[in-house]
Amino acid sequence: MFSEALRESVDLSLFWDYREVMLSGLAFNFHVFAASATAAIALGLGAALLRVAQALPFRVLGTLHVETFRNAPDYIMLVWVHFVLPLLLGAALGMRIEFHPFASAVIALGLVYSGYYAETFRAGIQSIPRGHLEAGRACGMSERQILWRIVMPQVVRRMLPEGLNQLVSLFKATTIVSLITVPDLMYRVSMVTATEMKPLPLYTGAALLYFAVVFAAASLVRLASERWRRRILA
Amino acid sequence: MGNWERLVWNQREVLLEGFLVTLHVCALAFAAAILGGLALCLVRMHVRPLRPLATLLVEFFRATPIFVQLMWVNYVWPELFGWPNSFFTAGWVALALQSSGYLAETFRAGIEAVPRGQREAGEAVGMGPALVMARIVLPQVALTTAPAIVNQFTVIVKSSTLVSVITVQDLMFQSQKLVNVWYEPIEILTATAAIYIAFVFAVSACGKRLSDALRRRFGIGSG
Repeated sequence: MFSEALRESVDLSLFWDYREVMLSGLAFNFHVFAASATAAIALGLGAALLRVAQALPFRVLGTLHVETFRNAPDYIMLVWVHFVLPLLLGAALGMRIEFHPFASAVIALGLVYSGYYAETFRAGIQSIPRGHLEAGRACGMSERQILWRIVMPQVVRRMLPEGLNQLVSLFKATTIVSLITVPDLMYRVSMVTATEMKPLPLYTGAALLYFAVVFAAASLVRLASERWRRRILA
Repeated sequence: MGNWERLVWNQREVLLEGFLVTLHVCALAFAAAILGGLALCLVRMHVRPLRPLATLLVEFFRATPIFVQLMWVNYVWPELFGWPNSFFTAGWVALALQSSGYLAETFRAGIEAVPRGQREAGEAVGMGPALVMARIVLPQVALTTAPAIVNQFTVIVKSSTLVSVITVQDLMFQSQKLVNVWYEPIEILTATAAIYIAFVFAVSACGKRLSDALRRRFGIGSG
Protein backbone atom coordinates (compact mmCIF):
# COMPACT_ATOMS: atom_id res chain seq x y z
CA MET A 1 0.00 0.00 0.00
CA PHE A 2 2.84 2.32 0.92
CA SER A 3 4.78 1.63 -2.26
CA GLU A 4 1.71 2.21 -4.37
CA ALA A 5 1.05 5.53 -2.66
CA LEU A 6 4.68 6.48 -3.08
CA ARG A 7 4.63 5.58 -6.78
CA GLU A 8 1.46 7.57 -7.21
CA SER A 9 2.90 10.65 -5.54
CA VAL A 10 6.13 10.45 -7.49
CA ASP A 11 4.21 9.86 -10.70
CA LEU A 12 3.34 13.43 -11.53
CA SER A 13 1.77 12.68 -14.93
CA LEU A 14 -1.64 13.78 -13.69
CA PHE A 15 -0.16 17.15 -12.73
CA TRP A 16 1.53 17.25 -16.13
CA ASP A 17 -1.80 16.56 -17.87
CA TYR A 18 -3.14 19.76 -16.35
CA ARG A 19 0.02 21.75 -17.00
CA GLU A 20 -1.72 24.58 -18.87
CA VAL A 21 -4.30 25.07 -16.13
CA MET A 22 -1.58 24.97 -13.49
CA LEU A 23 0.74 27.38 -15.29
CA SER A 24 -2.01 29.92 -15.86
CA GLY A 25 -2.69 29.61 -12.14
CA LEU A 26 0.97 30.29 -11.40
CA ALA A 27 0.70 33.35 -13.64
CA PHE A 28 -1.97 34.66 -11.26
CA ASN A 29 0.49 34.28 -8.39
CA PHE A 30 2.92 36.45 -10.32
CA HIS A 31 0.25 39.06 -11.10
CA VAL A 32 -0.78 39.33 -7.45
CA PHE A 33 2.87 39.41 -6.49
CA ALA A 34 3.81 42.22 -8.89
CA ALA A 35 0.86 44.42 -7.94
CA SER A 36 1.16 43.92 -4.19
CA ALA A 37 4.95 44.37 -4.25
CA THR A 38 4.49 47.76 -5.94
CA ALA A 39 1.85 48.75 -3.38
CA ALA A 40 3.95 47.49 -0.45
CA ILE A 41 7.09 49.36 -1.50
CA ALA A 42 5.24 52.65 -2.17
CA LEU A 43 3.21 52.47 1.08
CA GLY A 44 6.23 51.31 3.04
CA LEU A 45 8.30 54.28 1.85
CA GLY A 46 5.42 56.61 2.79
CA ALA A 47 5.14 55.11 6.28
CA ALA A 48 8.92 55.27 6.79
CA LEU A 49 8.98 58.95 5.83
CA LEU A 50 6.14 59.57 8.31
CA ARG A 51 8.12 57.81 11.03
CA VAL A 52 11.24 59.93 10.56
CA ALA A 53 9.25 63.19 10.18
CA GLN A 54 9.73 66.12 12.60
CA ALA A 55 6.08 66.54 13.58
CA LEU A 56 4.81 64.21 16.31
CA PRO A 57 1.39 63.42 14.75
CA PHE A 58 3.13 62.12 11.61
CA ARG A 59 5.44 59.95 13.67
CA VAL A 60 2.53 58.50 15.65
CA LEU A 61 0.65 57.75 12.43
CA GLY A 62 3.69 56.08 10.89
CA THR A 63 4.33 53.96 13.99
CA LEU A 64 0.69 52.92 14.14
CA HIS A 65 0.81 51.82 10.50
CA VAL A 66 3.97 49.80 10.99
CA GLU A 67 2.96 48.12 14.25
CA THR A 68 -0.50 47.22 12.96
CA PHE A 69 0.46 45.68 9.66
CA ARG A 70 3.77 44.15 10.66
CA ASN A 71 2.07 42.21 13.45
CA ALA A 72 -1.02 41.18 11.50
CA PRO A 73 -1.25 37.63 10.10
CA ASP A 74 -1.62 37.69 6.27
CA TYR A 75 -4.71 35.53 6.31
CA ILE A 76 -6.77 37.62 8.76
CA MET A 77 -5.82 40.76 6.81
CA LEU A 78 -6.91 39.10 3.58
CA VAL A 79 -10.28 38.16 5.05
CA TRP A 80 -10.70 41.55 6.72
CA VAL A 81 -9.94 43.51 3.56
CA HIS A 82 -12.23 41.31 1.49
CA PHE A 83 -15.26 41.21 3.80
CA VAL A 84 -15.02 44.22 6.14
CA LEU A 85 -13.27 47.04 4.27
CA PRO A 86 -15.89 47.25 1.46
CA LEU A 87 -18.66 47.52 4.07
CA LEU A 88 -16.84 50.30 5.94
CA LEU A 89 -16.07 52.19 2.73
CA GLY A 90 -19.65 51.67 1.54
CA ALA A 91 -21.07 53.06 4.78
CA ALA A 92 -18.74 56.05 4.60
CA LEU A 93 -19.56 56.82 0.96
CA GLY A 94 -23.21 55.85 1.18
CA MET A 95 -23.16 53.21 -1.55
CA ARG A 96 -22.72 49.49 -2.07
CA ILE A 97 -19.13 48.52 -2.62
CA GLU A 98 -17.67 45.10 -3.33
CA PHE A 99 -14.03 44.27 -3.96
CA HIS A 100 -12.94 41.95 -6.72
CA PRO A 101 -10.96 39.11 -5.02
CA PHE A 102 -7.86 40.14 -6.95
CA ALA A 103 -8.13 43.72 -5.62
CA SER A 104 -8.62 42.47 -2.05
CA ALA A 105 -5.57 40.23 -2.38
CA VAL A 106 -3.39 43.09 -3.62
CA ILE A 107 -4.62 45.52 -0.94
CA ALA A 108 -4.20 43.02 1.92
CA LEU A 109 -0.74 41.77 0.95
CA GLY A 110 0.32 45.30 0.03
CA LEU A 111 -0.66 46.58 3.49
CA VAL A 112 0.96 43.73 5.42
CA TYR A 113 4.24 43.93 3.54
CA SER A 114 4.27 47.75 3.64
CA GLY A 115 4.75 47.31 7.40
CA TYR A 116 7.89 45.24 6.83
CA TYR A 117 9.17 47.56 4.09
CA ALA A 118 8.62 50.65 6.25
CA GLU A 119 11.01 49.22 8.86
CA THR A 120 13.60 48.38 6.22
CA PHE A 121 13.36 51.86 4.69
CA ARG A 122 13.54 53.50 8.12
CA ALA A 123 16.68 51.59 9.08
CA GLY A 124 18.20 52.65 5.75
CA ILE A 125 17.23 56.30 6.16
CA GLN A 126 18.51 56.48 9.73
CA SER A 127 21.84 54.97 8.70
CA ILE A 128 22.61 58.03 6.56
CA PRO A 129 25.04 60.27 8.48
CA ARG A 130 23.62 63.69 9.43
CA GLY A 131 26.58 65.34 7.75
CA HIS A 132 25.22 64.31 4.32
CA LEU A 133 21.99 66.22 4.98
CA GLU A 134 23.85 69.22 6.31
CA ALA A 135 26.16 69.23 3.30
CA GLY A 136 23.11 69.18 1.01
CA ARG A 137 21.54 72.10 2.89
CA ALA A 138 24.82 74.01 2.80
CA CYS A 139 24.82 73.70 -1.00
CA GLY A 140 21.32 75.16 -1.05
CA MET A 141 19.41 71.98 -1.95
CA SER A 142 15.76 71.79 -0.97
CA GLU A 143 14.55 69.05 1.43
CA ARG A 144 12.99 67.21 -1.47
CA GLN A 145 16.19 67.33 -3.51
CA ILE A 146 18.14 66.07 -0.51
CA LEU A 147 15.71 63.16 -0.12
CA TRP A 148 15.80 62.01 -3.72
CA ARG A 149 19.39 62.86 -4.67
CA ILE A 150 21.31 62.12 -1.47
CA VAL A 151 19.27 59.93 0.88
CA MET A 152 17.28 57.56 -1.37
CA PRO A 153 20.13 56.36 -3.62
CA GLN A 154 22.08 55.28 -0.54
CA VAL A 155 19.00 53.83 1.18
CA VAL A 156 18.11 51.69 -1.83
CA ARG A 157 21.61 50.29 -2.01
CA ARG A 158 21.73 49.49 1.68
CA MET A 159 18.28 47.89 1.90
CA LEU A 160 18.58 45.84 -1.26
CA PRO A 161 19.46 42.46 0.31
CA GLU A 162 16.70 42.63 2.90
CA GLY A 163 14.22 44.18 0.48
CA LEU A 164 14.77 41.35 -2.00
CA ASN A 165 14.31 38.73 0.74
CA GLN A 166 11.00 40.33 1.61
CA LEU A 167 9.96 40.06 -2.04
CA VAL A 168 10.57 36.32 -1.83
CA SER A 169 8.42 36.13 1.34
CA LEU A 170 5.73 38.14 -0.41
CA PHE A 171 5.69 35.70 -3.30
CA LYS A 172 5.26 32.82 -0.85
CA ALA A 173 2.39 34.69 0.79
CA THR A 174 0.54 34.98 -2.55
CA THR A 175 -0.40 31.30 -2.25
CA ILE A 176 -3.12 32.13 0.30
CA VAL A 177 -5.12 34.30 -2.14
CA SER A 178 -6.79 31.10 -3.36
CA LEU A 179 -8.76 31.24 -0.09
CA ILE A 180 -10.74 34.23 -1.37
CA THR A 181 -11.13 32.54 -4.81
CA VAL A 182 -8.38 34.27 -6.75
CA PRO A 183 -7.70 31.51 -9.31
CA ASP A 184 -4.01 30.99 -8.56
CA LEU A 185 -2.11 27.70 -8.66
CA MET A 186 -3.40 26.48 -5.27
CA TYR A 187 -6.96 27.28 -6.32
CA ARG A 188 -6.54 25.30 -9.57
CA VAL A 189 -5.10 22.37 -7.62
CA SER A 190 -8.08 22.27 -5.28
CA MET A 191 -10.49 22.47 -8.23
CA VAL A 192 -8.76 19.70 -10.16
CA THR A 193 -8.55 17.61 -6.98
CA ALA A 194 -12.31 17.94 -6.57
CA THR A 195 -12.89 16.36 -9.99
CA GLU A 196 -10.00 13.89 -10.15
CA MET A 197 -10.14 12.84 -6.48
CA LYS A 198 -6.37 12.36 -6.46
CA PRO A 199 -4.82 14.86 -4.08
CA LEU A 200 -1.52 13.01 -3.87
CA PRO A 201 0.12 13.80 -7.21
CA LEU A 202 -1.60 17.18 -7.54
CA TYR A 203 -0.54 18.67 -4.21
CA THR A 204 2.93 17.14 -4.51
CA GLY A 205 3.26 18.67 -7.97
CA ALA A 206 2.17 22.08 -6.67
CA ALA A 207 4.58 21.88 -3.73
CA LEU A 208 7.48 20.99 -6.05
CA LEU A 209 6.61 23.73 -8.54
CA TYR A 210 6.43 26.40 -5.83
CA PHE A 211 9.62 25.04 -4.31
CA ALA A 212 11.42 25.31 -7.65
CA VAL A 213 10.29 28.91 -8.19
CA VAL A 214 11.01 30.11 -4.65
CA PHE A 215 14.30 28.24 -4.35
CA ALA A 216 15.55 29.69 -7.65
CA ALA A 217 14.48 33.20 -6.63
CA ALA A 218 16.02 32.90 -3.15
CA SER A 219 19.30 31.61 -4.60
CA LEU A 220 19.45 34.53 -7.03
CA VAL A 221 18.78 36.94 -4.18
CA ARG A 222 21.55 35.37 -2.11
CA LEU A 223 23.97 35.68 -5.00
CA ALA A 224 23.00 39.28 -5.77
CA SER A 225 23.18 40.30 -2.09
CA GLU A 226 26.70 38.96 -1.72
CA ARG A 227 27.80 40.91 -4.76
CA TRP A 228 26.14 44.08 -3.50
CA ARG A 229 27.62 43.72 -0.06
CA ARG A 230 31.09 43.35 -1.47
CA ARG A 231 30.63 46.41 -3.64
CA ILE A 232 29.23 48.59 -0.86
CA LEU A 233 31.81 47.60 1.71
CA ALA A 234 34.68 47.86 -0.77
CA MET B 1 -21.76 49.82 20.43
CA GLY B 2 -24.71 47.46 20.80
CA ASN B 3 -23.38 45.38 17.94
CA TRP B 4 -20.01 45.00 19.57
CA GLU B 5 -21.61 43.72 22.73
CA ARG B 6 -23.89 41.29 20.94
CA LEU B 7 -21.41 40.02 18.34
CA VAL B 8 -18.12 40.12 20.18
CA TRP B 9 -18.47 40.41 23.97
CA ASN B 10 -21.33 37.92 24.22
CA GLN B 11 -19.30 35.47 22.10
CA ARG B 12 -16.21 35.80 24.27
CA GLU B 13 -16.32 32.19 25.42
CA VAL B 14 -16.32 30.88 21.85
CA LEU B 15 -13.51 33.25 20.90
CA LEU B 16 -11.51 32.31 24.00
CA GLU B 17 -11.96 28.64 23.21
CA GLY B 18 -10.61 29.31 19.74
CA PHE B 19 -7.71 31.29 21.12
CA LEU B 20 -6.77 28.40 23.41
CA VAL B 21 -6.72 26.06 20.41
CA THR B 22 -4.49 28.58 18.63
CA LEU B 23 -2.13 28.58 21.63
CA HIS B 24 -2.17 24.77 21.75
CA VAL B 25 -1.31 24.42 18.05
CA CYS B 26 1.41 27.08 18.28
CA ALA B 27 2.98 25.60 21.42
CA LEU B 28 3.20 22.10 19.91
CA ALA B 29 4.53 23.47 16.63
CA PHE B 30 7.08 25.65 18.44
CA ALA B 31 8.41 22.82 20.61
CA ALA B 32 8.62 20.45 17.64
CA ALA B 33 10.27 23.13 15.50
CA ILE B 34 13.01 23.75 18.08
CA LEU B 35 13.76 20.03 18.43
CA GLY B 36 13.50 19.43 14.67
CA GLY B 37 15.60 22.47 13.84
CA LEU B 38 18.31 21.45 16.29
CA ALA B 39 18.31 17.88 14.93
CA LEU B 40 18.51 19.07 11.29
CA CYS B 41 21.29 21.49 12.15
CA LEU B 42 23.40 18.95 14.08
CA VAL B 43 22.93 16.27 11.42
CA ARG B 44 23.93 18.76 8.76
CA MET B 45 27.08 19.80 10.59
CA HIS B 46 28.26 16.52 12.11
CA VAL B 47 26.77 13.47 10.34
CA ARG B 48 28.47 13.49 6.98
CA PRO B 49 26.54 10.69 5.18
CA LEU B 50 23.19 12.31 5.98
CA ARG B 51 24.27 15.85 5.18
CA PRO B 52 22.74 16.08 1.65
CA LEU B 53 19.40 14.80 2.96
CA ALA B 54 19.34 17.30 5.86
CA THR B 55 20.31 20.14 3.51
CA LEU B 56 17.56 19.17 1.09
CA LEU B 57 14.98 19.08 3.88
CA VAL B 58 16.04 22.46 5.27
CA GLU B 59 15.88 24.07 1.82
CA PHE B 60 12.55 22.42 1.01
CA PHE B 61 10.94 23.52 4.29
CA ARG B 62 12.24 27.04 3.91
CA ALA B 63 11.37 27.57 0.28
CA THR B 64 7.86 26.09 0.21
CA PRO B 65 5.01 28.45 1.18
CA ILE B 66 3.38 27.50 4.48
CA PHE B 67 -0.08 27.15 2.98
CA VAL B 68 1.21 24.76 0.33
CA GLN B 69 3.02 22.75 2.99
CA LEU B 70 -0.08 22.60 5.14
CA MET B 71 -2.17 21.25 2.27
CA TRP B 72 0.58 18.85 1.32
CA VAL B 73 0.92 17.44 4.84
CA ASN B 74 -2.84 17.31 5.23
CA TYR B 75 -3.68 15.58 1.93
CA VAL B 76 -0.53 13.72 0.91
CA TRP B 77 1.06 12.49 4.14
CA PRO B 78 -1.89 10.38 5.35
CA GLU B 79 -1.85 8.42 2.07
CA LEU B 80 1.91 8.26 1.94
CA PHE B 81 2.77 7.50 5.57
CA GLY B 82 -0.66 6.76 7.12
CA TRP B 83 -0.06 9.76 9.40
CA PRO B 84 -1.11 12.37 10.62
CA ASN B 85 -4.52 10.96 11.42
CA SER B 86 -6.21 14.21 12.47
CA PHE B 87 -6.49 17.74 11.10
CA PHE B 88 -5.14 19.05 14.38
CA THR B 89 -1.95 17.00 14.06
CA ALA B 90 -1.55 17.89 10.39
CA GLY B 91 -1.86 21.57 11.37
CA TRP B 92 0.87 21.72 13.96
CA VAL B 93 3.16 19.34 12.05
CA ALA B 94 3.05 21.58 8.96
CA LEU B 95 3.79 24.68 11.07
CA ALA B 96 6.64 22.82 12.78
CA LEU B 97 8.20 21.71 9.48
CA GLN B 98 8.38 25.22 8.10
CA SER B 99 9.87 26.69 11.28
CA SER B 100 12.32 23.83 11.81
CA GLY B 101 13.90 24.76 8.47
CA TYR B 102 14.37 28.37 9.56
CA LEU B 103 15.54 27.45 13.06
CA ALA B 104 18.09 24.99 11.65
CA GLU B 105 19.75 27.94 9.92
CA THR B 106 19.51 30.08 13.06
CA PHE B 107 21.16 27.38 15.17
CA ARG B 108 23.87 26.85 12.59
CA ALA B 109 24.78 30.53 12.63
CA GLY B 110 24.78 30.42 16.45
CA ILE B 111 27.05 27.37 16.61
CA GLU B 112 29.45 28.81 14.04
CA ALA B 113 29.68 32.01 16.10
CA VAL B 114 31.18 30.17 19.09
CA PRO B 115 34.98 30.68 18.87
CA ARG B 116 37.00 27.57 17.98
CA GLY B 117 39.33 28.15 20.91
CA GLN B 118 36.57 27.32 23.37
CA ARG B 119 36.03 23.89 21.85
CA GLU B 120 39.73 23.24 21.78
CA ALA B 121 39.95 24.27 25.43
CA GLY B 122 37.17 21.80 26.24
CA GLU B 123 38.94 19.03 24.34
CA ALA B 124 42.21 19.94 26.02
CA VAL B 125 40.72 19.27 29.45
CA GLY B 126 39.52 15.87 28.23
CA MET B 127 35.89 16.53 27.30
CA GLY B 128 34.45 14.46 24.43
CA PRO B 129 32.76 16.12 21.43
CA ALA B 130 29.26 15.45 22.84
CA LEU B 131 30.14 16.95 26.19
CA VAL B 132 31.75 20.00 24.53
CA MET B 133 28.56 20.46 22.53
CA ALA B 134 26.26 20.08 25.54
CA ARG B 135 28.23 22.05 28.14
CA ILE B 136 30.09 24.68 26.14
CA VAL B 137 28.54 25.29 22.73
CA LEU B 138 24.78 24.83 23.16
CA PRO B 139 24.33 26.97 26.31
CA GLN B 140 25.86 29.92 24.44
CA VAL B 141 23.86 29.16 21.32
CA ALA B 142 20.67 29.18 23.41
CA LEU B 143 21.50 32.70 24.59
CA THR B 144 22.60 34.17 21.27
CA THR B 145 19.70 32.71 19.30
CA ALA B 146 16.96 33.37 21.90
CA PRO B 147 15.71 36.58 20.22
CA ALA B 148 15.55 34.89 16.80
CA ILE B 149 13.71 31.93 18.34
CA VAL B 150 11.10 34.21 19.93
CA ASN B 151 10.74 35.92 16.57
CA GLN B 152 10.11 32.55 14.95
CA PHE B 153 7.27 32.04 17.43
CA THR B 154 5.53 35.15 16.07
CA VAL B 155 5.85 33.67 12.58
CA ILE B 156 4.20 30.48 13.84
CA VAL B 157 1.33 32.43 15.40
CA LYS B 158 0.74 34.33 12.17
CA SER B 159 0.85 31.18 10.05
CA SER B 160 -1.37 29.31 12.51
CA THR B 161 -4.40 31.26 11.20
CA LEU B 162 -4.21 28.97 8.15
CA VAL B 163 -4.96 25.78 10.10
CA SER B 164 -8.59 26.97 10.19
CA VAL B 165 -8.68 26.10 6.47
CA ILE B 166 -8.34 22.40 7.36
CA THR B 167 -11.08 22.84 10.02
CA VAL B 168 -8.89 23.03 13.11
CA GLN B 169 -11.12 25.06 15.43
CA ASP B 170 -8.73 27.88 16.28
CA LEU B 171 -9.58 31.55 16.80
CA MET B 172 -9.75 32.20 13.05
CA PHE B 173 -12.11 29.25 12.58
CA GLN B 174 -14.46 30.29 15.40
CA SER B 175 -14.51 33.86 14.17
CA GLN B 176 -15.42 32.83 10.63
CA LYS B 177 -18.06 30.50 12.00
CA LEU B 178 -19.62 33.41 13.88
CA VAL B 179 -19.57 35.46 10.69
CA ASN B 180 -21.44 32.67 8.91
CA VAL B 181 -24.07 32.56 11.66
CA TRP B 182 -24.74 36.30 11.96
CA TYR B 183 -23.75 37.60 8.51
CA GLU B 184 -22.26 40.64 10.22
CA PRO B 185 -18.52 40.46 9.63
CA ILE B 186 -17.44 43.98 10.65
CA GLU B 187 -17.24 43.65 14.41
CA ILE B 188 -16.18 40.00 14.65
CA LEU B 189 -13.43 40.13 12.05
CA THR B 190 -12.12 43.47 13.32
CA ALA B 191 -11.99 42.13 16.88
CA THR B 192 -10.27 38.94 15.70
CA ALA B 193 -7.68 40.92 13.77
CA ALA B 194 -7.11 43.11 16.84
CA ILE B 195 -6.60 40.06 19.07
CA TYR B 196 -4.03 38.57 16.70
CA ILE B 197 -2.22 41.87 16.24
CA ALA B 198 -2.12 42.51 20.00
CA PHE B 199 -0.87 39.00 20.72
CA VAL B 200 1.88 39.09 18.08
CA PHE B 201 2.82 42.60 19.22
CA ALA B 202 3.11 41.41 22.83
CA VAL B 203 5.26 38.42 21.87
CA SER B 204 7.63 40.49 19.76
CA ALA B 205 7.84 43.15 22.49
CA CYS B 206 8.91 40.39 24.90
CA GLY B 207 11.46 39.22 22.33
CA LYS B 208 12.85 42.73 22.04
CA ARG B 209 13.14 43.12 25.81
CA LEU B 210 14.80 39.73 26.01
CA SER B 211 17.40 40.64 23.42
CA ASP B 212 18.07 43.99 25.14
CA ALA B 213 18.49 42.25 28.50
CA LEU B 214 20.83 39.64 27.00
CA ARG B 215 22.90 42.33 25.34
CA ARG B 216 23.24 44.24 28.62
CA ARG B 217 24.11 41.19 30.71
CA PHE B 218 26.25 39.17 28.36
CA GLY B 219 27.13 41.61 25.63
CA ILE B 220 25.51 39.43 22.99
CA GLY B 221 22.45 39.40 20.79
CA SER B 222 21.38 41.01 17.55
CA GLY B 223 22.07 44.61 16.63
